[in-house]
Amino acid sequence: MDVVLEARQLAKAYGVGTDALQVLGGISFAVSRGEFVSIVGPSGCGKTTLLFALAGLQKASTGTVTFNGRSVTAPPRGVAVVFQDYSRSLFPWKSNRDNVAFGMVRVEGLSSAQKRDKAQEMLEAVGLQGFEDKYPWQLSGGMQQRVAIARGLASQSELLLLDEPLAAVDAQTRADMQDLLLDLAVRFQQTCLLVTHDVEEAVYMADRVVVLTRRPTVVDHEVPINLGKRRDQITTREDPRFLAARHDVMMSIRSSRTAAPATAA
Amino acid sequence: MGSFRLLEILAGFRAIISFLIIIVTWQSIASLGLVPEKYFPSILAIAAGFRDMMMSGELVSAELRTISRALIGVASASMLGIGLAVLGDLFPSFRRGFAPIAALVQPIPPAALVPMAVFMLGLGPKLYAFIVILVTVWPPYFNGVAALASVSDVQIRTGQMLGLSRWQILRQIKLPAAMPEIFAGIRYASSISLIAVVVAEMLAGHDGLGFLLIRKAFAIRIPEVYALMFVCAVNGLIMNTIVNGLRWKFAGWQSRMTGQAA
Repeated sequence: MDVVLEARQLAKAYGVGTDALQVLGGISFAVSRGEFVSIVGPSGCGKTTLLFALAGLQKASTGTVTFNGRSVTAPPRGVAVVFQDYSRSLFPWKSNRDNVAFGMVRVEGLSSAQKRDKAQEMLEAVGLQGFEDKYPWQLSGGMQQRVAIARGLASQSELLLLDEPLAAVDAQTRADMQDLLLDLAVRFQQTCLLVTHDVEEAVYMADRVVVLTRRPTVVDHEVPINLGKRRDQITTREDPRFLAARHDVMMSIRSSRTAAPATAA
Repeated sequence: MGSFRLLEILAGFRAIISFLIIIVTWQSIASLGLVPEKYFPSILAIAAGFRDMMMSGELVSAELRTISRALIGVASASMLGIGLAVLGDLFPSFRRGFAPIAALVQPIPPAALVPMAVFMLGLGPKLYAFIVILVTVWPPYFNGVAALASVSDVQIRTGQMLGLSRWQILRQIKLPAAMPEIFAGIRYASSISLIAVVVAEMLAGHDGLGFLLIRKAFAIRIPEVYALMFVCAVNGLIMNTIVNGLRWKFAGWQSRMTGQAA
């Protein structure tokens, strides 16, 4: 299998000496091309720290991240992050089209007219035709997150790192957005890594779920989700294989939670 | 319902209405003789004083000098303030080193700077440039530093993920994000710049509104003194309109976002 992203013995500690807080304790896993992998873990296990290390936004203390075989020391080209906090990730002084076009700010060989067309195309792909000239703050939360996703795709990404992208939208919108993300991942040949605390979402979206332990966090185990690429909000969630996977993931998270000492998250 | 409509129409003209109220109150106090007319001239007398100064040409030349000094001063001070704030953002050690200097110089009133500036720079245009810049650079600088430091980390990470350098992030993300707050500083600076210019002209000038005001006051030309005060007030409006126009261009998104008028 063609490995796109690989973490090897990734560890991260904040502070030094006796005050040091060991957040990541040596995480190893790999994501293959075209795969949709979810990462779940108990609260406070350092999911965001892990994602920032994978994205090259933050250095790990030890261990390595490779993207397409090359070591990640800074944000590599071809990786896009969709942040949870869409309202603070979009630029309120830019129209939605300009926000999406800004995803191509460092893409060479495209005229500004071509970037504009591409932005338009991406906005249509996320279902926002007619909102190009509006501003992000004129849209609902779910729509704002669509703009951020369109911007990520426009940046010519091949790997989407999704940092709890749907945690702040309402339940019905979340279901629509899950299906939209799955559809976009296939259409634009994106490899996806979803970090979430929502076990149902992790299982519903993924081909494989990586379950993390509590701090110092390592990979507890991986759960393959053999539900095929086509998912359905009603039938998939009733499928015995879905329920079994959900049960498995929830059990391990519960056991690491009950084993957790009483510390502030 | 009818009275509600009337209120709405009145609200549309509120600036004119408050101005009329001031005029009417002023005129009534003057004509009732509550204060000696010599020191509190009627609107008509003030208008006549205004007309005389217009006819002689002294008002226009004084006004042009004063407003251009204030405008050039506040424009340079804003550029300088933004430049220093950017430096402070790129080099935190510069910001820390500059902080005590700022804390020391900022509270000096414009009038207190005039004697030193006269010794150093004489009575020419350098005097005004020095005084205006020294008193108006602070609001854009401090607002700039605070606003650049408080740009959302998610926006900055977005820029990093898109492959932008530190400088590009500053220019394309942090500065636009900081513009509304910087303009709040410029707006404040523009009103102090008018004060600073008039004070400097009063103390050390040989032209401009401040100089004319002092001359008319010593000549006990009371209506002219009042007319010049009105001109100073109008200058404030002119300055505010210019700054608001620029703010709308560079930071108008914030007003549109929060739905408030400029």
